[in-house]
Amino acid sequence: MSKNLRVKASRFIDETSRVSFKFNGKTYYGFKGDTLASALIANDVHLVGRSFKYHRPRGIMTAGSEEPNAIVQVNDNTAYTEPNVRATEIEIHDGLEASSQNCWPSVSFDIGGINNLLSPVLPAGFYYKTFMWPASFWEKYEYVIRHSAGLGKSPKVADPDIYDHRYIHCDVLVIGAGIAGIMAAKTAAKNNLKTLLLDEKTEIGGTTIYQNSDNFKIDNKISSDWLNNEINELKKIDNLEIKTRTSVAAYHGYNYLLARENLTDHLSKDKKKNKIRQRLLKIRAKKVVVATGSLERPLIFDNNDRPGIMLSSAVKKYTDYYGVICGKKNVFFTNNDSAYESAVSLFEKGIKVQAIIDIREKSDSSIVKQTEDLGIKIYWSHAVVDTHGYKKLKQISIMELSKDNKSVIGTKTNIDCDCLGMAGGWTPAVHLFTQSGGKLKFRDEDQVFIPNEYPSKQISIGSCNGDFELDKIIKNSSDSLKKFLEIDKTDYENLSVINSKEVNKKNIWLLPSDKIIGKTKPFVDYQNDATAKDIKLALREGFRSIEHVKRYTTTGMGTDQGKLGNMHALGIIADTTGVKMGEVGTTTFRPPYTPLTFGTIVGRNVGEYFDIFRRTPMNDWHVNSKAEFENVGQWKRAWYYPQNNETMHEAVQRESVAARVSAGILDASTLGKIDIQGSDASEFLNRVYTNAWSKLGVGKCRYGLMLNEDGMVYDDGVTTRLSENHYIMTTTTGGAANVMGKLEDYLQTEWPELDVYLTSVTDHYATASICGPNSKKILNKIIPNLDLSDEKFPHMSFKEAQIGKIKCRVMRISFTGEHSYEINVQASYGKSLWKQCIDAGKEFNITPYGTETMHLLRAEKGFIIVGQDTDGTMTPIDLQMDWIVSKKKYDFIGKRSLYRSDTIREDRKQLVGLVTDNPKEVLEEGAPIISKLNQNPVQMLGHVTSSYFSPNLNKSIALAVVRGGKNMMGKELFIPMEGRNINVTVTDPVFLDKENKRLNA
Amino acid sequence: MLNYHSSIKKEKSYSGLTVKEISPHMKLNLRGKSREFLSTIGKNINMILPMEANTSSTSDSYTAMWLSPDEWMVITNNTVDKENNNYPIEELLFNKISKTNLGAITDVSDQFVMINLKGEKIFDLLSAGCPFNFSEFKNKKITVVQTLLLQMDVIIHLTEINTVNLFVRRSFSEHLMSWIDDTASRL
Repeated sequence: MSKNLRVKASRFIDETSRVSFKFNGKTYYGFKGDTLASALIANDVHLVGRSFKYHRPRGIMTAGSEEPNAIVQVNDNTAYTEPNVRATEIEIHDGLEASSQNCWPSVSFDIGGINNLLSPVLPAGFYYKTFMWPASFWEKYEYVIRHSAGLGKSPKVADPDIYDHRYIHCDVLVIGAGIAGIMAAKTAAKNNLKTLLLDEKTEIGGTTIYQNSDNFKIDNKISSDWLNNEINELKKIDNLEIKTRTSVAAYHGYNYLLARENLTDHLSKDKKKNKIRQRLLKIRAKKVVVATGSLERPLIFDNNDRPGIMLSSAVKKYTDYYGVICGKKNVFFTNNDSAYESAVSLFEKGIKVQAIIDIREKSDSSIVKQTEDLGIKIYWSHAVVDTHGYKKLKQISIMELSKDNKSVIGTKTNIDCDCLGMAGGWTPAVHLFTQSGGKLKFRDEDQVFIPNEYPSKQISIGSCNGDFELDKIIKNSSDSLKKFLEIDKTDYENLSVINSKEVNKKNIWLLPSDKIIGKTKPFVDYQNDATAKDIKLALREGFRSIEHVKRYTTTGMGTDQGKLGNMHALGIIADTTGVKMGEVGTTTFRPPYTPLTFGTIVGRNVGEYFDIFRRTPMNDWHVNSKAEFENVGQWKRAWYYPQNNETMHEAVQRESVAARVSAGILDASTLGKIDIQGSDASEFLNRVYTNAWSKLGVGKCRYGLMLNEDGMVYDDGVTTRLSENHYIMTTTTGGAANVMGKLEDYLQTEWPELDVYLTSVTDHYATASICGPNSKKILNKIIPNLDLSDEKFPHMSFKEAQIGKIKCRVMRISFTGEHSYEINVQASYGKSLWKQCIDAGKEFNITPYGTETMHLLRAEKGFIIVGQDTDGTMTPIDLQMDWIVSKKKYDFIGKRSLYRSDTIREDRKQLVGLVTDNPKEVLEEGAPIISKLNQNPVQMLGHVTSSYFSPNLNKSIALAVVRGGKNMMGKELFIPMEGRNINVTVTDPVFLDKENKRLNA
Repeated sequence: MLNYHSSIKKEKSYSGLTVKEISPHMKLNLRGKSREFLSTIGKNINMILPMEANTSSTSDSYTAMWLSPDEWMVITNNTVDKENNNYPIEELLFNKISKTNLGAITDVSDQFVMINLKGEKIFDLLSAGCPFNFSEFKNKKITVVQTLLLQMDVIIHLTEINTVNLFVRRSFSEHLMSWIDDTASRL
């Protein structure tokens, strides 16, 4: 560290704690409290990166999140790497490694720098114009373009850091802890409002906290001292929470905001272990005070991008806050008084200020007079027309402005300097305000957009509201807070405030040059290398809307989103086209305000927390039995149980045969279950399902099909009448929650007259489904006193029973076509029930089967699966299930739609069975079906929905939806696959036991 | 004979927080609107159902939680016998309410797992996954809320300051406990 580049630092830098870090492989030292930017400047490192398009050398320009140039790759070649991080926001810590981006082989010698020489042939729109022809070359162009696109490098492995989310609710959220924000937070908290104060910086206090000048006094105290006292008082208030290093990323409607809290990026690796790196705060605030301050504008002139050219406010911050000297020979270029504050501050610290170049004719403000008294040379009515120095600023050239400000006159004066502070005025940070839906108005006087119409309970105060002078900030903020918080007074009324008043204002968006614009490079968007020349070119080529100019020139499209240059782009458009600037409008301010890591957005929703999942009470048994699982809805369902290194196919074939030959057992706990009670329960089911329910006897079960309002199949399941006004409905596993929501919605909004109550009992019951010729014998062993004769317990009926002292419900229903029972017990006894079934079935070789075998068995019987054989476009008639649609019922959901001209078409896609000519050939699910080969274009009749090799039928079977399929029985069709065609024949979808003999076997 | 298996096996302790399942409890879902429904319930369980939104009431034997204008959940204050699942109060209320069409009584004992949370960091934990505003809740102005925790529908019942019973569907309970374990370890 070069000692001579440090002045006595403020209290924000701990000069007793030396910190080592690496930049571009070289070790440097800084102090605790330094950012990477301040530490690099202290080490006289100004060349930090290369620009995107021309690979021009770039340095540090700002001291905040608006930085366009000094963006670096952190922790390169590690899993922790992150691109495009602003050096101005990285707090240095032991072990930090950062490197320059967009340069090869090094930032100092970058081959890509040749682009700068080629810049005359690389104007805006170059890509669009150049790579259009010859069309066949596009893939070659694309290869090169893709390799040169982007700045940093994406990580190649999973991010090992931990992120999470946190919901926060408060009465008042204050965004920005500058002087206005601190006033707001203290006022709100002292009035018993739960207050949250957020600031993206490490320390609160904004720019006032290091404003140690006699020119700025509040209540007869130097403004920084006064503010420090306020902060000390603020920290004692109970119902106030202050979060630093926290950047508000998005401001949505109804005062819902997202903020990123940076928790450990400033810590060394050993202190970060098992700690959350960044947290996404999801904030709901009753009221929001936006005090986001303002961003200093650069000035647009030829070669305004060299390392060493910075914002005037940044030069001041590096000196006053970090104790770092940006240049030994400083010059300021300004159109307002801000540069004078910086110049005086540097001068008072003994840092040389060569000159101030001011485009104004004169200013009589006190700060200007003080500057003159200090003997600093001021060039009035002058402009910088060029700068010199490739990797670091060495010299500037200035010329006098003509009276109409459209050109420069006289002779060129060269001034040697190594730092040029630009002060182009201030732009209120209205990004969050506009994100929330706020409308801006343009203030001609100083050419700023300021908040006008608030869409929610919020106010903007301070410089983001267009108040740039200390006395105005305090008075207007105090007045606004009183009204907004509905309080009688604040602590800030009648405070005496001393500050210099700016009396002369002048702005030129694009400063004139002694050269024609085509020969200059006045950068508007530094990161993307968009110049004023590019904007004028876009206008010449017919682009008028700022949104179009933005996209054509890429102005405002970098990681900084044009925080510095967007206003200039608007100004240049307005000046060139002769339109008033307020009428040009602005581009859309979209979240996030500053880039968010993907980790922050995702939080802990990674790995096992990527999605929530549900397990059945029998899950442990399935795991112990080495079942493979599949996700069904949110459930983890046993898919199949491989034995002795079986493949999935082998396991499913074995399980399927066992279920038909002797006995199988399925965990059916996941089916949705809804308890329905009330005197209108039967009528309710009549309206919900397509078939009739009033005459269903108590103790009986019935299959039902539920439609959407459009007549398409929505869900299905078996419902059991437990007593006169009491039913239990089962739904599909994945559809349970939606069905419950839909039915409750109907009850509350469409049918409030019905006396019906629905209660979800899906999780209350565990269900073991045993099927096969020996299922009755197995059940008899488990519940010996239950009469299982067909007379007493026929198919589609249910019985209350007890296993030991535990009540259970047994339904004789079947989804496999086999003689089956579903035993439902309270979930806590489910695991034990399952074990009992397995034990009881041992002598019958009971075989647990998973969902895949279940699918195969039901396909043999032609039973549909909603969501597999249907896709929201199938009516019951399409499914050849006409029998389930009651013709007598007055109404049911979807009935009217079944008689629309489209739904009664004969050539709709209809469910059919398919068998292959080669019985061993298994079709692919989703495969297309055609009637003629060699058609061009191919006429697709439908597709295969379910396909299996049936070990019980010893042939391949499939279900499919085929246009006009009902009338195609026996017809030969084709399945075109890659390199071959498969011949199939249309059949009935029921392949096995059409007479249902097995159900009663 | 069927054996009882609780969903969550272990009690867990973290800085400022302990977490355990308390089971088995009988839980009944009560639905009804009429005055007769309310008086019948009151007479039979010897307590008045809470009518104010998001509140609960407790008697010697039962706690009733308001879930919606016509829905409550009643749970036993003490654990019940694991050896059988015959709950006389369920049978009584079912006969008096469901069978007379005054409303609906549904056994939901195993629909929900009751996780007991104790400690000053309960709401730090919950706010990591729950969008509900606990500002008033934690000071006992309201005592019951149905909300989402990690997108799972849950019922949160504040039994006393810094003690909460969290009801979650049984199928989600293992996943929720895993998340609690992960999140609580960094509180």
